[in-house]
Amino acid sequence: MRKTNRARALRHVSLVLGSVLGILALAAWTSSAEAHHSFSVFDMQTNKELEGDVVEFQWTNPHTFLWINVTNADGSKTRWGLEGMSPNFLGRRGWSKNTFEPGDHVKVVIWPLKSGEPGGTLQRATLPDGSEVVNFGGAGGGGGGGAGGGAARTGSGAPQ
Amino acid sequence: MLRHAWLIAALVAAPLAAQKSGPQGDTWETIAKLPDFGGLWEVTFGGGPRGGGEPPQFTPEYAAKLQAFQAASQRGDIEDGPAANCVPNGMPSIMTQPYPIEILFTPGKVTILIEAYAQWRQIFTDGRAHPEDPDLTFNGHSIGHWEGDTLVVDTVGFTTDTFLGNQGMRHSDKMHIVERFHLASPDRLEVQTTITDAQALTKPTTRTAAYGRHRDWTLAEYVCQQNNRNFTTDDGKAGIDLSFEEEK
Repeated sequence: MRKTNRARALRHVSLVLGSVLGILALAAWTSSAEAHHSFSVFDMQTNKELEGDVVEFQWTNPHTFLWINVTNADGSKTRWGLEGMSPNFLGRRGWSKNTFEPGDHVKVVIWPLKSGEPGGTLQRATLPDGSEVVNFGGAGGGGGGGAGGGAARTGSGAPQ
Repeated sequence: MLRHAWLIAALVAAPLAAQKSGPQGDTWETIAKLPDFGGLWEVTFGGGPRGGGEPPQFTPEYAAKLQAFQAASQRGDIEDGPAANCVPNGMPSIMTQPYPIEILFTPGKVTILIEAYAQWRQIFTDGRAHPEDPDLTFNGHSIGHWEGDTLVVDTVGFTTDTFLGNQGMRHSDKMHIVERFHLASPDRLEVQTTITDAQALTKPTTRTAAYGRHRDWTLAEYVCQQNNRNFTTDDGKAGIDLSFEEEK
């Protein structure tokens, strides 16, 4: 089941991260592509890498939350809460509630909270089988992958 | 012939109705003759018109509101808006969220289901007029008609709690929105939105949003309060709640 979901995720290479940042940065008065909240609490200049074990993956609106336990340099553990896009958005781009399961050892890249609290926006994650999922739309296909299956599936075409 | 007579009568009766042409979707039979708006539509993020035209031109009073907001944002005094607290965007922004919409025809009414914030709009196409003194709501009161293959929707009655576009752009309760829905190509819906507001804008402002069709999608539940950890305080500060309950 889980393998199937992950395979699907890989097939549906979708919007690349840069494209989505482009969307978020659109100065057009017309619409805020960001449905729900601003990114003011997140440090979007910093790509922080973490590695840890999944505690829980909350497949909930308005955001998914991935909770992972990260072992610190001194051996202590910190639970990080990582906000992702909604199940509605991600579910149409190859993710499912089973994309992460408790105990999975994952590597993630996040925008950390400015406050220093252990949380952030999930950008991408490497799953135990080595595949990668990208929060803003399906699986990571690298920089040039935006025109792949997912974009065709959404019919939108990623902006350049 | 009969239709012509009716058209002429309508011409005399009401300027808005004057432009009616073709099937109006007042019966199941005429609904069958309307353009196929079936499936879900998601706003596209590129590859076409989105917002074209110049930004809104505000009257001095509303330009000052925008400038005050922008200054406060730059100072860091305002970090986020009501949507972070799960308050729906209202019109017009609710139509361009990164979630699909579905457009349903029933006799005399078009219903738009909007996944974001689980909103809906009803557009009366049965010839009724707006209420004389409409209640002020997030999505307004909508009446519509068809001009050939274009659905024209006229909406009034907006609460001033919502934003015109981006945060800081305000409108008055006299805002008037006209939307023209038509299929630019078989799987591309374009909605041209013209906003008039004599109190807030020095002239009407127009944008066009494009939507891609997804026949195989179905609407998904969106209960914003389910696990909303983002928040905006009354004075505009943003925050996030990282409390975590261990699994029972």
